[in-house]
Amino acid sequence: MRWRESCTCAVVAVSMLSLAGHGQQSGQPKTKQEASAPVQSIVLPQYAPNVPAGPHVDTYRKDCLICHSARYVAMQPRFSQTVWEKEVKKMVDAYGAQIPDAEQKEIVEYLVAVRGPLESK
Amino acid sequence: MDRRQFVRLLTAGGSVAIGHRAWGRTPGFSADGAFPYFGEGVVASRELVRYPQKTDLILLTDRPPQLETPLRYFQSDLTPNDAFFVRWHLSGIPTNVDLHTFRLEVNGLVQKPLSLSLSDLKTRFKPVSVVALAQCAGNSRSLFEPRVPGGQWGNGAMGNARWTGVRLKDVLDEAGVKAGAVQVGLRGLDVPPMPATPVFQKSLEIDHARDGEVMIAYEMNDSPLPMLNGFPIRLVVPGWFSTYWVKSLSSLTVLDQPLKTFWMDKAYRIPDNPDANEDPQHLAAATVSISLMPVHSIFVSPEPGEQLRAGESFTLKGVANDGGSGVRRVELSTDGGQTWSDATLGTDLGKYSWRTWQAEWTPPAKGSYRLMVRATAGDGQTQRSSQWNRSGYQRDVIEDMDVVVA
Repeated sequence: MRWRESCTCAVVAVSMLSLAGHGQQSGQPKTKQEASAPVQSIVLPQYAPNVPAGPHVDTYRKDCLICHSARYVAMQPRFSQTVWEKEVKKMVDAYGAQIPDAEQKEIVEYLVAVRGPLESK
Repeated sequence: MDRRQFVRLLTAGGSVAIGHRAWGRTPGFSADGAFPYFGEGVVASRELVRYPQKTDLILLTDRPPQLETPLRYFQSDLTPNDAFFVRWHLSGIPTNVDLHTFRLEVNGLVQKPLSLSLSDLKTRFKPVSVVALAQCAGNSRSLFEPRVPGGQWGNGAMGNARWTGVRLKDVLDEAGVKAGAVQVGLRGLDVPPMPATPVFQKSLEIDHARDGEVMIAYEMNDSPLPMLNGFPIRLVVPGWFSTYWVKSLSSLTVLDQPLKTFWMDKAYRIPDNPDANEDPQHLAAATVSISLMPVHSIFVSPEPGEQLRAGESFTLKGVANDGGSGVRRVELSTDGGQTWSDATLGTDLGKYSWRTWQAEWTPPAKGSYRLMVRATAGDGQTQRSSQWNRSGYQRDVIEDMDVVVA
C-alpha cells in the first residue's frame, strides 16, 4: 500500500491574521488549561530579511526567499564554491525549487560573494 | 588585528574570561559563541526573539521558525515549555488548530481505519507519561570542524520534558494492524511551500511503533503543547533523535513496504558506523537513517564568557543523556584530560531523561584551564574525543571549554 496523501485535517491553516480563537474564548469560563480552548491560534512575528548586498542579489531574492527566510544563508559560515553549488543543486533536485540553470549559476555567485572563502576574493 | 582580537572586541569590552574551545578556535564564531562573524562587517547575530507562547529564544531562522534554547534553562531537570527549542522544516507551519475538526487519521494496512479527535485520544485510551529528552539530530552542528552547512545550532537544540499521552501501540491495536505491515508512516499538519517540495514524512518500523514506549503526546510538562512544539499532539519516540517526533501529528499510515521519501532516504542519514564518523576527504560510502541518541554530555555552567575567580568556589553544572540505558557516570577534568573526577548526578527521572550533574571547583590560581566532561551510559558506552560527518549530525564528542581564571 502506498502512502496516502490524505490531508484530511480541516485545519492546515496558515491564516496568519485569524484571531478566531481568542474571539470564541470570550464569554466562556476560563478552563484551567489554556489549550482546552477549542481553537488555538498564533500569529507569527515578521522580521526584516537579512540580505547582504552582492552580485545577483535580486535573483537570490526571487528564487530562494520564496520558500525560506534569508537567515538560512545569513547564519552560515563561509564555504567553498563547491559546497554552495551542492546546496543550490539540493534545493532544485531535492526540494523542488524551479530555478533555471543560468539563475542557479547567479545564485552560486551571490553565495560565494557573501559567504565564500575569504581567500578567493 | 587577528580573528581572536576581533572576537575579544566583539564581546563585553574585552573582558572575556572563558572561551568554548570549539567555538573559540572555529572561524566564524566568537569566543562566546553568541555572535557568528562572517567578515566584511556582516554579522549575523544570534539575536533573542519572542514568538507566541514562547519566552526569548535565539533566532536561527524565522521562516520557518528555528529557535534555540539559551543554555541557562538547562540548569533544571525539565525544560520549561516556553523555553523549549523550535525546529520546523517547511514554511507552511500550522498556526491555527480547531479541535472541533482536528482529527488524527489512522489508515493504510489496518482492519478499521480511525479518525480520532483529541477528546477521543484522551477518553478512549489509557494515559501514560514519560520523561524524555528531545534532541535535534543537528544539535551542536556549529561546533563541527571543518564546518558543515545546515542549521548552525549551538548546544541548545534540545529539551527535557515530561510527556503525557497515549501509547502508539494502543492506537494501532484499536485500528487492527493487518499481516504484512512493515512500517508506520507519520505526517503532521505542516505543508511545503512549493508543490514539488517533499512533504515532511517520517516512518518507524512496525515493531518499534508497537513497542509500547512510542507515544502520542498531548501534554508537555503537564500543559498542552505550545503551537510551535506541535499542538495538539506530537509523536514522542523515547531515546531517538527528535526528527521522528512528528509535530502536529495528523496521520498514521500502516505500510506494507518501507516509506520512500526524501526525509528518510536522503535526509537525516549518518555514516553507517557506531560513531557516525567519516573523513572529510573520504566520505563514508554507506549511510543509515539516524536513530538512537548516543551518550552525550555538555557544560551548562559556566557559560562561555562567564567570569571565574581564583580561590573562589564555583559550581560546574551540565546535563548528560543517552538513548535509553540511562547515565551511570559523569566525569570532569579541569586539566585538559590528564586527571578526571566524578561529578554528582542529579535526580534520576528515568532512562530516557537527561541527568543533570554538578561539581564544585575552586580554581587554585589565575591562568588558563581546559575543562572537559565525559559521560558513561548504563550500557557502558562512553564518549569519543573526535568526530566529524558531512551533515553535522549526532555530535557527541567529549566536550571541552577553555577557561581563563582572573
